Amino acid sequence: MKIVGQKDVKLDKAFMEEVAKRSGENVFLCYQCRKCASGCPSRMFMDSTPTELMRYVQLGMVDEAMKTNTIWYCLSCQTCSARCPQDIDIAHVVDTIRILVQEKGIKADTKNMRLFNRLWMNILKYAGRMYELALTGMLNVFTGRPFKDMSLGIKMMRKGKLKLLPSIRKPFAMMKMFSRAKRLKK
Amino acid sequence: MKIAYYPGCSLHSTGVEYDISTKKVCAALGIELVEVEDWICCGASPAHQCDELMSVALPAKNLALAARTDNLKEICAPCASCYSRLKFAQERMTDENMRKNVEQIIGSEYPEGFKVLHMLDVIVEKTGTEAVKEKVVKSLNGLKVACYYGCLMTRPPKVTGKQQFENPTEMESLMEALGAETVDWNMKTFCCGASFALTQTDVVLKLTRKILADAVSAGAQAISVGCPLCHANLDGRQEQINKKFNTNFHIPIFYFTELMGLALGFEAKDLGIFKHLTEVEDFLKERALV
Repeated sequence: MKIVGQKDVKLDKAFMEEVAKRSGENVFLCYQCRKCASGCPSRMFMDSTPTELMRYVQLGMVDEAMKTNTIWYCLSCQTCSARCPQDIDIAHVVDTIRILVQEKGIKADTKNMRLFNRLWMNILKYAGRMYELALTGMLNVFTGRPFKDMSLGIKMMRKGKLKLLPSIRKPFAMMKMFSRAKRLKK
Repeated sequence: MKIAYYPGCSLHSTGVEYDISTKKVCAALGIELVEVEDWICCGASPAHQCDELMSVALPAKNLALAARTDNLKEICAPCASCYSRLKFAQERMTDENMRKNVEQIIGSEYPEGFKVLHMLDVIVEKTGTEAVKEKVVKSLNGLKVACYYGCLMTRPPKVTGKQQFENPTEMESLMEALGAETVDWNMKTFCCGASFALTQTDVVLKLTRKILADAVSAGAQAISVGCPLCHANLDGRQEQINKKFNTNFHIPIFYFTELMGLALGFEAKDLGIFKHLTEVEDFLKERALV
């Protein structure tokens, strides 16, 4: 836990309200019991614990919430949401902050998750189903480690565990769904 | 019993043996699986963290497609991630505004009251372990199995409706019906890192190592799973874990349907078991399961 003076912190009430409203979770119920932080399997990688993240949201500490690596190390394993005594879906709050960071194009080290999400959603938009070879291939090229997991991939291919060609299902219907969603969000 | 079947993307690629063994086992138990026509990806890992609307619309579309298939009212997904997304979509669709928007996106009505089941629920709750036991021709003969549920088969209880989300025991009862012995261990609902395998492999290696180590120290000879992402990490990453942490894991990871298939008398090769990346042939030979 970092202790800071009030003048060092940007407090943004609008951020707090936006997270609460979009997630539909009553984030103000959190009383910092730390049950989420204790159970989080990814805690050791995070700068701030999930409990601290909840406090950032309650106080409207927008920079701390959006730029901490905590949200990008969340595995969406739902342990925190399952255990919260105040019944807050914490993983949903994390998802909401991740969405805000991506929508607003905020500069943050997203641990390649921004890229991962964009690639996967684009594959869906044009193919309708996952095409693992394209996802891993593009991800490895764009992150500058083209040979990552190469031998594993070859092994899987030999065993018939990776499709060589994408299975495309009604691409026009999928594109239509995505464009309708885009229009609705405006 | 007739039920809509949503295999999901993983079962057509990295988890193909799960698809093969599920179909075999269900046929043997008299469960008719009707694959949802033209199903699409449920949005699994990325949709919920980058696009809330699509994360509900994609599973809702699949439910709408399933409702059109033979007028069925139940759908089962073997993949824990697909199961979770379908369940989440149902929960989110109770919001009036969300429902209106999603129906507009999918261009059809959203089917109310669909029952979403994980494959394990279909076997344990709907068929019953007694019925499975009657069909066993080749007992697993005391094979020590650690049953691994991972995250999304049980959590969050508000969505899955599971009572015992910290210590589920359905898979144990199934394994015991097959003649296996189950071990008591700590990591049965611990996260393996799932899709972080592609972006942050180190996280997956660390978490998966904990799971493997706990299973081995509890005396397990094999781990039984019900999720293709868990299987990919536990089975496929053992070599990398051994290299990185200087360990010596060599523990076979089976889908629970594969172990069922073996006990029901199917040949290992017909169940796709040899597609595993951790070698299993000698293991099965030693126990006369091949």
